[in-house]
Amino acid sequence: MNTIHLDHTFPEVFARLDDLQSEVWKQDVTFEKGKLYLVEANSGTGKSSLCSFVYGYRDDYQGTIDFDGHNIRRLKSGDWTRLRQRHLSLMFQELRLFPELTALENVQIKNRLTGFKTKKQILAWFDELGIPDKVDAPLALMSFGQQQRVTMMRALAQPFDFLLVDEPISHLDDLNSRSMADIMIEEATRQGAGVVVTSIGKHMELKYDKTLRL
Amino acid sequence: MRLVWKLLRQHISAPQLAGFFLANLLGMLIVLLALQFYKDVRPVFSQEDGFINSDYLIVSKRVSMMGGTSAFTPRELDDLGRQSFTKSLAGFTASQYKVACSMGIEGVANFGTQMYFESVPDRFVDAAKDQWHFRKGDEVVPIVLPRSYLAIYNFGFAQSRSLPKLSEGVVSMIDMMVVMRGAGKEARMKGRVVGFTNRLNTILVPEDFIRWSNQEFAPDADASPTRLILEVNNPTDDAIARYMQQHGYDIDEDKLQAGKTTYFLKVVSGVIMGVGLLITVLSFFILMLSIYLLVQKNTLKLQNLRLIGYSPARISLPYQLLTVAMNALVLLLALAILRWLRGYYMEMIWAMFPTVKDTPMWPAYVLGLVLFVVVSLLNILAIRRKISRV
Repeated sequence: MNTIHLDHTFPEVFARLDDLQSEVWKQDVTFEKGKLYLVEANSGTGKSSLCSFVYGYRDDYQGTIDFDGHNIRRLKSGDWTRLRQRHLSLMFQELRLFPELTALENVQIKNRLTGFKTKKQILAWFDELGIPDKVDAPLALMSFGQQQRVTMMRALAQPFDFLLVDEPISHLDDLNSRSMADIMIEEATRQGAGVVVTSIGKHMELKYDKTLRL
Repeated sequence: MRLVWKLLRQHISAPQLAGFFLANLLGMLIVLLALQFYKDVRPVFSQEDGFINSDYLIVSKRVSMMGGTSAFTPRELDDLGRQSFTKSLAGFTASQYKVACSMGIEGVANFGTQMYFESVPDRFVDAAKDQWHFRKGDEVVPIVLPRSYLAIYNFGFAQSRSLPKLSEGVVSMIDMMVVMRGAGKEARMKGRVVGFTNRLNTILVPEDFIRWSNQEFAPDADASPTRLILEVNNPTDDAIARYMQQHGYDIDEDKLQAGKTTYFLKVVSGVIMGVGLLITVLSFFILMLSIYLLVQKNTLKLQNLRLIGYSPARISLPYQLLTVAMNALVLLLALAILRWLRGYYMEMIWAMFPTVKDTPMWPAYVLGLVLFVVVSLLNILAIRRKISRV
């Protein structure tokens, strides 16, 4: 998968807005593999909607979205399963972790599906992100910031051509967002993947190829 | 898989599954027990003698003082065949030539008699195919004798002349010389008694033998049947007795009674099996409701699993394995209980009817397996469908 192309796409709820000022909605936007994008937005401008449209779990939009020229509305359930295992990863803003599992298990539940990382590599991430003591902690007992880091690790535990990260550092201090950005960029570079980061102000300090205002 | 199970087992309701388990076990057990009991008890009522299935009726014309023929005309046959109670119908074919028969031990003829042969189509005869056959050129003809003949000999003839009594086994070993005469020809053959029957008062030989011998010794004789063998749909049908009465035919009332008992047994077993099946179906719905509720409660988890790349098939698997494992356990337990219950009632049956043969249990096993496979497949499909829609 090399490109994600948005052709005059916009959320249906925006259909009646005449003065929609956006560099993404109702525009012709292409995200390319290997590049780093920042999508900046105010709240309520449809940042998470963008992620959910591209990730295929909402389709209340108009216009088209295509992957390498294939309209994603035509993808079947099995296609999405394959994409989400091998080509496309999303770090959810709302995390979508499993409180019944420990931190490590939350990462492993993805990693066992893809068989992508060794346990040693995952434990190294825990170290880098400053939560080595939380490996076996039940998720329910962790702070939101700590959970965000677990979510990032889970998002990285798979091969991908594109990584979407939806407000990754909203609850992190600068030091921790730095280390999170480091492992993310390291993994994305290694895989030659494209990265789309969204933010409502505070964002990872990275060398973005392009910044778009939503 | 372990982690997925750890997630999806949340909210599993043990009481609901126990309810399903018991209901399914009860349903399955009732179905299998009804089948097995029917198979075990049927021989007691039907007194099967191994040669003629007791569900068949033998029809003949009443012999009257006025004379007249006792043979059935093609028209009468046709009419009987068209009755709604008739399932299938065939005539007895009698030998049209002279038959003399002598019995002896070690080649010394002891006594002889004039007699005749009759046959019915082989499909009405429940004898082993390797014993019950005749081909032109064979030296030996298999014969089935009425059991009453042996009784006449043993308790009348042998008694009064101080001759040894013969068991059925011994008679089967005795040589019987059969001499057939007709159309200027004569032939000698050996007869071998392959069995005895309570059902027919005739000397029964294979159909092929009668066809060949009539052709050989009485090519021109008229072979209209004087007795008919009749398979009916339902022996309790009043129409049978009414029809026979109207046309002046005789049927073996006694056998009709036995047929009624068997039919009744069949109906009762059928009803009980139906109830068992109904319980099984209901238990299936309990399980489905329980699983649906589980899916409903775990919707968020299932959605999240889908979003991190799990396929519906993979998420369905834990629930599918759970149900199949439970169904398998139910099957095994039902079969074990069936064996135990059967041992219990068979002891009583054998105490009352020592001659009743042991019926094989494989039909119950097969039925249990079929139920297991059908219910499991339906479960698997239903779960997959439900989870795909999450």
